[in-house]
Amino acid sequence: MIDATCPNCGAAVHFRTPALPVKICDYCRTTLVRSGEVLQAMGKVAEVPEDVSPLQIGTRGRDGMGFELIGRIRMRWSGGGWNEWLALFDDGSTGWLSESMGHFMLLRAVADGGMRTGAVRSVRDDQPVVIGAEATIASVKYRVNDVKDATFVGSEGELPFSTPADTPIRSVDLMAPGGECASIQKDRGEVSVYAGRYVTLAEISATNLRAFDGWPLPSFAA
Amino acid sequence: MTVPLNTVRALTCPNCGGTIALRAAGNTVSIICEHCGTTLDATSPDLAPIAQATTAMQRPEIALGTRGTLRGVQWEVVGYLERTDHYVNWSEYLLFNPYQGYAFLVDDERRFSLGVLLTQLPGYTGGSITVDDVGYTRFGSRYDAWVTFVVGEFYWRVAVQEQVQITDFVRPGTMLSCEENAEERTWTQLTLLDFGEAEAALSIPKRRKSYGGTPAPHEPSPYGNLMKEALIIGVVAAFTLIVIMFMGGGRTELASATLDVALNGTQATRVIGPIDLPGRTTAIRIAARADGIDNSWIELDYSLVNRATQESFDAYATAERYHGVTDGESWREGDATPGVQLSSIPAGQYDLVVEATGHVWSSTTVTTPDSGWGETPAVPVTIDVARGGIFIGNLLLTLFALLCWPVILVLRHIGFETRRLAPVAEEDDE
Repeated sequence: MIDATCPNCGAAVHFRTPALPVKICDYCRTTLVRSGEVLQAMGKVAEVPEDVSPLQIGTRGRDGMGFELIGRIRMRWSGGGWNEWLALFDDGSTGWLSESMGHFMLLRAVADGGMRTGAVRSVRDDQPVVIGAEATIASVKYRVNDVKDATFVGSEGELPFSTPADTPIRSVDLMAPGGECASIQKDRGEVSVYAGRYVTLAEISATNLRAFDGWPLPSFAA
Repeated sequence: MTVPLNTVRALTCPNCGGTIALRAAGNTVSIICEHCGTTLDATSPDLAPIAQATTAMQRPEIALGTRGTLRGVQWEVVGYLERTDHYVNWSEYLLFNPYQGYAFLVDDERRFSLGVLLTQLPGYTGGSITVDDVGYTRFGSRYDAWVTFVVGEFYWRVAVQEQVQITDFVRPGTMLSCEENAEERTWTQLTLLDFGEAEAALSIPKRRKSYGGTPAPHEPSPYGNLMKEALIIGVVAAFTLIVIMFMGGGRTELASATLDVALNGTQATRVIGPIDLPGRTTAIRIAARADGIDNSWIELDYSLVNRATQESFDAYATAERYHGVTDGESWREGDATPGVQLSSIPAGQYDLVVEATGHVWSSTTVTTPDSGWGETPAVPVTIDVARGGIFIGNLLLTLFALLCWPVILVLRHIGFETRRLAPVAEEDDE
């Protein structure tokens, strides 16, 4: 835990892990970028619009080891929006719980970026990616199931990078017959590849979910 | 822990001013006002109208906002749309639960199916596709479907006239539906719900249970299992019946007597009795055995006479055995042990009157050998009277009765499957 003070509003700022350089101030929504001991204010980001996501900062889950959601980015594209929740695992590593239309993908960054795959190169070179195209990432054979051009809408908590509004992002989702899934993202010229699988909240034994009036919490979370 | 949030938010339609509900904020992309039918952009802060209503507003049978539990999960109806492929029309309800996501309730006007989007890609093996190692058979070719009416909220940009290409794969009780457009390809797994299940869960009048009309592509034949059971039972019963009948069919010896019959045309008469027949009606088999005859025959006239009423039941048999040589080939023919049957003899005490006349046969003339030399050959004939016997007519009637129901079920099953496959049957011929 690193404690600091927001240079913009003076509120206390806590970093859960030294691995993540970015934190959105809970009070003034300023993006704070940490470099050594220095906190630099990088401009404000919008609040994430109110939604009925069952997840929240502080939701816990398990995938081999426990994790906690510590950050969130809200994405928007022409056909809607989705949430990327940053999961901090008990061993200090991070992953993403991607939430879209009631489906959840638990993803981790693929180390070498899977650059050998045509789909990844197409994203890197801004070439069109065809729905149904095959792509092999970390020896799993996927098919592209959607391609979106998106931007950051708002964010909260701790993040590995800043999320300025209107940043153009290309996002490609892939699926495999075994329930595996993958995601290729191009953000400010940099291509990242993530791989994992579809999960349900029951499968990750999610706790500390958001409570909704009139909706009983699922048995695993209660 | 924060205060439980209400998932439903009241909004005002910018077109008509009516109050509309937003039930899945964050996911919902399009809202179609239930008052004026205007399509609103839920991703814009001011709910910018996108399209005016093109069809007259109508109320879905299950009202928006209705909650109900299906297969253990509580759902809320948030959207409703009607679609057509210009052959059949159906409707789809979009269901939402904040912890479970979305499901579809598909209504073909007869039965409901519960659909979920697959989060895995089906595998292809030969002509069929597999999900979790379970195979599905392609049902017809790819077809176009159009949205004809829409109301409520959706997580995609829904619009009347929106078109997708659908390919269906089925197995009894389940369908995999692949929907494609230019941007994406989705797989929905539809489970056929029991009659009355969705109606009870979502508080609408129960539909009439009917297997008529055109079944759903993934509807299991209601006659399939019945048919298999009935066929097994019917075949076992028929087999048992045949075995029992040929093993003796409960035959009981009633009386037996032996009489000597001269082969000179003299009639021998013998009364066998009393024979008691207690059953309401009884089948009688009269078997004769004349092993001693050779190139001779014995005519046997039977009369079963009721001692009380003198009512008589008559039958006739011939015991015969011949042999000879014709054109250098020896031959042998005839039946020395003929049997006859009398069916449906009423209860009572009877006598069997046997009149036997014996003759000797020669290839040229019928001779009565007693004329020359007084030695008259006599042959012993044994008459056995027994209850029971195989009546082929009765056997066939019983078999028909036994197999009637299985055959009816087979025909119904074939009829059902023919109707189920009718929408795609013509394609296969092309």
